[in-house]
Amino acid sequence: MEPIGIFILAMICQVYSCAANVSDSVERMQYASVAGEEYLQEDKLDTNLDDKVFFEFDKSSLDAEDKNLLEQYLPFIKKAKIVRLEGHCDERGTREYNLALGERRALEVRDFLIVKGVSGKKIRVVSFGEEKPLKSASNENAWAENRRVEISLY
Amino acid sequence: MIKFFFMIVFLVSNNIFSILEIEILKGSDNLSKVAFVPFGVEGTVEESYGGQISKFIERNLLLFGEFENLDESDMLSYPSSENDFYYRDWKIQGVDYSLIGKVNSVNSLGNLNISYSLFNINRRIKILEGEIIGSENNLEGISKIISNRIYEEITGLKGIFNTKLAYVVNSDTETYQICISDIDGKNEQILFTSNAPIMSPDWAPDRKKIAYVSFENGLAEIFIQDLKSGQRDSIQALGMTNSAPVWSPDGKSLALVVSFSGNPDIFIYSLNNKKLTRLTNHYGIDTEPSWSPDSKKIIFTSDRSGSPQLYEINTKSKRKKRLTRDGNYNARGRYFPDGKSIFFVHGNDGNFQIATKKLSSRYIETLTSTSLDESPTISPNGNIIIYATKDGSNGYLGGITLDGKSRFSLPVKNGSVREPAWSPLLN
Repeated sequence: MEPIGIFILAMICQVYSCAANVSDSVERMQYASVAGEEYLQEDKLDTNLDDKVFFEFDKSSLDAEDKNLLEQYLPFIKKAKIVRLEGHCDERGTREYNLALGERRALEVRDFLIVKGVSGKKIRVVSFGEEKPLKSASNENAWAENRRVEISLY
Repeated sequence: MIKFFFMIVFLVSNNIFSILEIEILKGSDNLSKVAFVPFGVEGTVEESYGGQISKFIERNLLLFGEFENLDESDMLSYPSSENDFYYRDWKIQGVDYSLIGKVNSVNSLGNLNISYSLFNINRRIKILEGEIIGSENNLEGISKIISNRIYEEITGLKGIFNTKLAYVVNSDTETYQICISDIDGKNEQILFTSNAPIMSPDWAPDRKKIAYVSFENGLAEIFIQDLKSGQRDSIQALGMTNSAPVWSPDGKSLALVVSFSGNPDIFIYSLNNKKLTRLTNHYGIDTEPSWSPDSKKIIFTSDRSGSPQLYEINTKSKRKKRLTRDGNYNARGRYFPDGKSIFFVHGNDGNFQIATKKLSSRYIETLTSTSLDESPTISPNGNIIIYATKDGSNGYLGGITLDGKSRFSLPVKNGSVREPAWSPLLN
């Protein structure tokens, strides 16, 4: 086995052995992680659809337009191996709270897709909070573009 | 000639790495005025040392705009011993305190004996007298010790000139660094460089380690880095998204955020047995924990009421209390060193500013006036807050003394700087 394979295996073992330390029952879900990110090396599936949904400040709910866009993704998702959902926020407010808010936005998209029949196993969720803005300016337009979930299929 | 060339190279590179420099923006009219008289030298001691030491002390005391000085060229006399000291020479110049001193040689190895006296001019008494032995190679270090003693004598607060600052620098979209420097911006050290975001630095109480969040492996992951060896250990054993690590006052645990099933809650992680203990369990966002100085409570941000507000939880009884009600954004709270007040980010009409609140009162006091202020950190003596703010697309650090006497900024020479974390005092 390649050394990297052993490393990944060791990491997976650690993840599970320690999660068992937590007394509460924990529903496991697929997070983007070192162990599961080889797919990022592959080419993205081209869908010709907008690859982002946008949010209001401090909100994570999807509007009708967002849902309509996500529904158009469904046939492509059937062909995809992985759906990567990357949550982001604008710079306002605090960084750690925004990290959690970005995750919540990505999960909102995930939940919508699952309700529409997509297998949760296909979905990878990651939040970058306010750390990776698309626009660095400090105005309403830049903020609106930065409050987003980026969808990519592999 | 070659020597000269190397000198230039050294100066230039030193300049690049020393990115923070404090600029006083607003001083007060009623600051105490201090005269830092050049120290006298005796015996074989290099003549310039006397002036260097008093200048270092002067720079320290003026660093945060808490005092004003009497210019050396305006002094009427330059005493180095009590016998030559006349109160009227200083009273006439409106001076409140005068520092004098003397440097003696201890041995031929370059060890020096530095004696100093501080006088209160208005009360006409000597209020401090001290002696310190140190190497001629460490004049700045010696000066910091003397500066701390003077500061403590005048203000009654602990001196902070030996403290450090950790911060995150983002020099371009692909380069993130975590750095530490002395509180005056000198001796900057880059701890780690990554092409993925770095967040949330926090000092271990013994100042030997720093915990932070790095995305180098694709998602938020907590690392602990040893400052001496540079060794980095991930707390990856927790598996999923981890964030917002803060050391307990005894250094044995971290409070942190773990998101199982996409639901971030506050946990305590024991560094000895790597056991994770749950503190909160709510479907809302719970994040940004921080310990009370007595370790009994943890303050955190939760949006369980519909907007981010501050709560505290007793770590034993798990009893929770809501701390903020005014405004729809109160987040990332920290306790003052005395545990009686908190400081945090307060959203008000679309502006995000640094605010304080006494735990015994409802009233929120806003300290800053810019609109994108965040990540406040307090000096270990509880007198100064440094925070991150933004000018155009560049982040820089601002500071304010809590008596309102001074505002200052720490502009960066390159890139954007954020998330300042003030080190504890050296014990």
